[in-house]
Amino acid sequence: MSDIAVDVKNLTKVFQVGGGGANVFKQGLTSSYVVAVDNLSFQVKAGEVYGLIGPNGSGKSTTMKVVLGLMAPTEGHAQVFGLDSGDIRARHDIGFLPENPYFYRHLTGEETLKFYGKLCGLKGAELKDRIGELLALVDLEGARKRRLSGYSKGMLQRIGLAQAIIQRPRLVILDEPTAGVDPVGSRQIRDLVLRLKDDGISVFLCSHLLEQVQEVCDHVGIIFEGRMQQEGTLDELVSVENRYSLTLEDADPETIKEIEALISKTKGTTIAEQGHPKTTLERLFIKIAGEKEANKKS
Amino acid sequence: MKIPIFSISRTWTIASSTIVQLMRMKTFYFLIAFALLVVGIGFIFGSIDPDQASAARQLELIKKLSFGAMDLFAWLFAIVATALLIPRDLEDRTLYTILSKPVRRIEYLIGKLLGVLLLVFSSLAVMFCLCLVVLFIRENAAVAEEMSNLQLARGENIELIKEQISLIREQGVRPQLAIGALASFLKAAVVSAMAILISTFASSSLFTIISSILFFLIGHAHSMATSFWESGSNGVVKALTNLVKLFIPDFQIFSFSEGIVQGAAVAPHLVGSMCLLTAGYLFVFVLLSLVIFMYKEF
Repeated sequence: MSDIAVDVKNLTKVFQVGGGGANVFKQGLTSSYVVAVDNLSFQVKAGEVYGLIGPNGSGKSTTMKVVLGLMAPTEGHAQVFGLDSGDIRARHDIGFLPENPYFYRHLTGEETLKFYGKLCGLKGAELKDRIGELLALVDLEGARKRRLSGYSKGMLQRIGLAQAIIQRPRLVILDEPTAGVDPVGSRQIRDLVLRLKDDGISVFLCSHLLEQVQEVCDHVGIIFEGRMQQEGTLDELVSVENRYSLTLEDADPETIKEIEALISKTKGTTIAEQGHPKTTLERLFIKIAGEKEANKKS
Repeated sequence: MKIPIFSISRTWTIASSTIVQLMRMKTFYFLIAFALLVVGIGFIFGSIDPDQASAARQLELIKKLSFGAMDLFAWLFAIVATALLIPRDLEDRTLYTILSKPVRRIEYLIGKLLGVLLLVFSSLAVMFCLCLVVLFIRENAAVAEEMSNLQLARGENIELIKEQISLIREQGVRPQLAIGALASFLKAAVVSAMAILISTFASSSLFTIISSILFFLIGHAHSMATSFWESGSNGVVKALTNLVKLFIPDFQIFSFSEGIVQGAAVAPHLVGSMCLLTAGYLFVFVLLSLVIFMYKEF
């Protein structure tokens, strides 16, 4: 069994465009071609969460579609657990949640999972049990008989995530999983991604919401104009090598003064930043929403 | 894991989901209500003034209206329903979630077509049965009236009444009527396959609907166009006519149902050749759709 979930090597995708207008052009090609992905290489290891980040039009979705087998590469290749992404067998191991999915709005949550489960060859009691298990996982048991046309954006994302993992894939691909979702819904999706990771499922996600990527990803690739700009573990990318932070709790002013005095005596060391650490607006919102919810229940 | 070249189970899953999708659409109810209304109007209209037309003529009128409505429902619904399926799946990104499962494109395409055809077939069957019931009631009422006249009649009137009864029976419920309904279904099947071919490269549902209706109308003017163009000696025009004849089906081959409705007999070989031609058109259209769809990038 391959321990590489996704292997993208020298991937290039060129599109023919009408009218000649394009953003990025490859040398030697006429103006009616646009290079969406240019010689891109990266690997997603089994069991890790990999985030591909970049601005709109940077080639994230194209890369994702090639990995899903919805597009063929112009050059290079993409493999999923050692199988070519165009090979239908690879899709047994893939679960996919597109950006802002609509699914069939005439189906209920339960019917939606039944439909996707059947496409994956599940049936009978196995399918029924799996549907129940997934509805509980994504907290939609109460809405199982409701049509998707009555679901909120967050609920749609969660049912989308449930359909993505219905056949117990080893890799889950998420395209902007929290786009348009409120902070609470966004947090639920984040928790589900972390849960997938705990279950040993590899996650490959594309996003431009950097804070969320930072919260869940082990590895991050930054793509711009179809090319990989920087890649590495989160620590490698975000650590400031010559800085070290120490956060104190309930320290009295005297202790702080002593620490400051000690540092000022040390040659070459300065205090770069000092003060009360700030929470993020998102964390604050989640805290307030959680407290309100708890008050309502009590 | 081995994946079969074609899975009936997956195709059926897509077909049954298509049936549910179409049945929950307002278009279906609108068209079926319209068709039933016309059948109802035919029944009422045929009963308004019994003295004005003979009973046989009234029955013929009911059949004409009912079969006309059934035919209109079948081809119009086939176009609209087929045109809405693939482009909408693409617009809503539902197609991505389906094709990212272990589903072959041929299974998706045939499943969609099968769903439309099964629904058209079932709707026609319901309308046909309803029409037969109406016809049976009207026929027997008319015959009973003539029979009561027969008991009172004498001399040459007896012959006239017997002739009248025979005319009523000719216009009443006959097995050949099923061939008329079959012709409507086969025409709808060809129209649907043509619409699915257009939708594989069309940019929107509206484009598919308009072009399908256009081709449908051209297909009805086949023989007229052929005789017009072939009367000229221009080789290019002849070649163009042949090309149009090759790609646009001659929908007039299904129009003999009008004769059946009027009480004419049908040669079995005509029915056989109609079925064979339909099979041929379906095969060619599905094959062409598949070739386009297989290489389509999403």
